[in-house]
Amino acid sequence: MSTSVAEHETRHEALPARPKELAMHFDTLHQQYSTGKLAMWLFLGQELLFFCGLFTAYAVYRGNHQEMFHYAHYFLDWRLGGLNTVVLLTSSLTAAWSVRCAQLEQRKGLLITLALTFLCAGAFMVVKYFEYSHKLHIGAVWGSNFGVATADLPPALLEKYPGMTGQQLQLMGMGTFFAIYFCMTGLHGIHVLVGMGLYAWLFVRALRGHFNRRYYGAVDNVALYWHIVDMIWIFLFPLLYLIG
Amino acid sequence: MTDVPYETEHDHNVQGHDVHEPHEGLPGTIGHVSSWKSLVKVLGALLVLTVITVAVAQVDLGRMNIVGALGIACVKASIVALWFMHLRYDKRFNFWILISSLAFVAWMVGYILMDTAIYQQNITDYRKEKPLEVKPIESGSHQ
Repeated sequence: MSTSVAEHETRHEALPARPKELAMHFDTLHQQYSTGKLAMWLFLGQELLFFCGLFTAYAVYRGNHQEMFHYAHYFLDWRLGGLNTVVLLTSSLTAAWSVRCAQLEQRKGLLITLALTFLCAGAFMVVKYFEYSHKLHIGAVWGSNFGVATADLPPALLEKYPGMTGQQLQLMGMGTFFAIYFCMTGLHGIHVLVGMGLYAWLFVRALRGHFNRRYYGAVDNVALYWHIVDMIWIFLFPLLYLIG
Repeated sequence: MTDVPYETEHDHNVQGHDVHEPHEGLPGTIGHVSSWKSLVKVLGALLVLTVITVAVAQVDLGRMNIVGALGIACVKASIVALWFMHLRYDKRFNFWILISSLAFVAWMVGYILMDTAIYQQNITDYRKEKPLEVKPIESGSHQ
């Protein structure tokens, strides 16, 4: 087994060179890695609780207003949501692969996978932009601001319920659904933007050759964060887009 | 093992690692290295489940729709956690952090849902007395 730093000191031997990546308050690189990872998991546990408040709002509102979710799902295009699901799942693969590249010290692979993850996150936000701008345009927004003219209602909704008017939906309180929708997807979107920032940061660090097989905690922990963001979307997609 | 300090403590405190699996990686690598084939398989499984969840949602199963959608989502989330997030190979403690967090999620959603229906009548009565104010809407007025 390894000799501890303290033993070296009592034997008055010269210590071997300390790795430059090892922070002064850790004994080994493995300890440093495990500590960072533990902290990341605690943060991710907190993230789940953070989102849980919104999922609770969803559950309560859905429990009492099933019909609202039925009408609302006509406003959301499952094809766009599905596209974003595929984009995000793919980015999870590249994120996991970037950890592998860092562990194997494959510099080129690491740069490619980090860049791909960043680009997928960007693609997700572009699709989100088109979805949001359409909703803002027709007035499918939060709370008392909700006001969609009957002419702007989704054609599939009018086909199924020919007499339906925008005013009726407004009176039912459709604004509350969209408040929940924008809070949930908005908070998730902010997480995606933060993830893009983190991947840009990792890319720069990888370019500078900061990572190696015993020092890649940042790549690993950002990937963990990215997977949690993916996991949240795995629930948001069916809950908002699919079941009506 | 080496007798040099600052070296890796190696895998002796990594539990759940399947020793029969071929272990890839450079000497002294920290953590479990996933093979690229396993990662691609995981993505394949997630995409197949996505197609299934979309297909199931097209059929009207009443209340079973939400059960099915959430069930598939839970399977997908577990796959992400176990393979992409390395929990299968990680220290058990990190796994329990996730589980305990989920327990509190279930507790919060469950307890709040239990009494939410009780107050619905109050809201309905209040709305009867004081209906939502509705502004006239014009097409394209929100540009």
